[in-house]
Amino acid sequence: MSVDRSVARQGVIDALPLFVPAVPFGLVIGLASADSGMNLLVGWSSSWIVFAGAAQLTLISLLGSGAALVAAVGTALVVNARHLMYSAALAPTFQRQPPWFRRLGPYLLIDQVFALVSVRPEEEPDRFRTYYLAVGATFWSLWLVVTALGIVIGPVIPEEWNLEFAVPILFIGLLILGIDRWPKVVAAVAGAATTYLAAGLPNRTGLLVGAGVGILAGTLAEMYRGE
Amino acid sequence: MSELIAVLVVGLGSYLFRSFFIIALANRRIPDRALVALRFVAPAVMAALIVALMTDAEGNVAIGVPEATALLVGGAVASRSRNHIWTLFAGMTVFWVARALL
Repeated sequence: MSVDRSVARQGVIDALPLFVPAVPFGLVIGLASADSGMNLLVGWSSSWIVFAGAAQLTLISLLGSGAALVAAVGTALVVNARHLMYSAALAPTFQRQPPWFRRLGPYLLIDQVFALVSVRPEEEPDRFRTYYLAVGATFWSLWLVVTALGIVIGPVIPEEWNLEFAVPILFIGLLILGIDRWPKVVAAVAGAATTYLAAGLPNRTGLLVGAGVGILAGTLAEMYRGE
Repeated sequence: MSELIAVLVVGLGSYLFRSFFIIALANRRIPDRALVALRFVAPAVMAALIVALMTDAEGNVAIGVPEATALLVGGAVASRSRNHIWTLFAGMTVFWVARALL
């Protein structure tokens, strides 16, 4: 077996266990699309146009709850702003890659891909690229299938099950699993409290205000902690 | 139509975030303070989103005891199991049981 094939196979093998936790997200995104009343093809297309579970779920559930377009788009973009970190972290590694891959690679740069490739920065460029593409393509194809599945089974599930409540539960999971230091608790509490106090602002823009205050509070807490 | 535009804008924005340093600023350093701030995007936004989804457009709390209980249990299970599937399973089960009982 050539090196390329074994590297690619390793990428697929590494990606599969990381995909398992994403399955409920994919299904709930499909369900939320069906529930929100939006065009189902558009809802599903977000899987390959946006290709980011939390941002897709944010956009679809906010549009479905009657939020203004600008608030839904703005919040989904804020959710994805964390990808700037990944871009900054991988920029030196990508310097050794051909231009076509520097353009294509970022499209596949989701949380799990970053987690897997960021531990291989010194890898020989060809092997790194093969591994990256294998991991990314695995997530990408499975993601499209799982979200489509959610859309298909969505209308079949009885409404009284209130499966849309799965959205805040998944967000609680994301919140708790991401907290590894107390300044993040400060960010979460400040974000939640401000959003609550600002909930009466038009078009649900209170959400963006809350997110901004939370980020600021967390940053200040981290600086205080560092002193 | 407006939904498709929303998806396209978020898709384009996400690509720009992911490619920003890789394509445009590969040799520049990102300010440390900005990197610190980015760490707090996820907790701040997730907490804000949960509150937004649990309140109505006038700012009133729009959840009952079953939802609140399910969120608490979901949070507790997430922190113990570190697993999304268990979190979802526990949260939804508690929600259905509490709703049936209350």
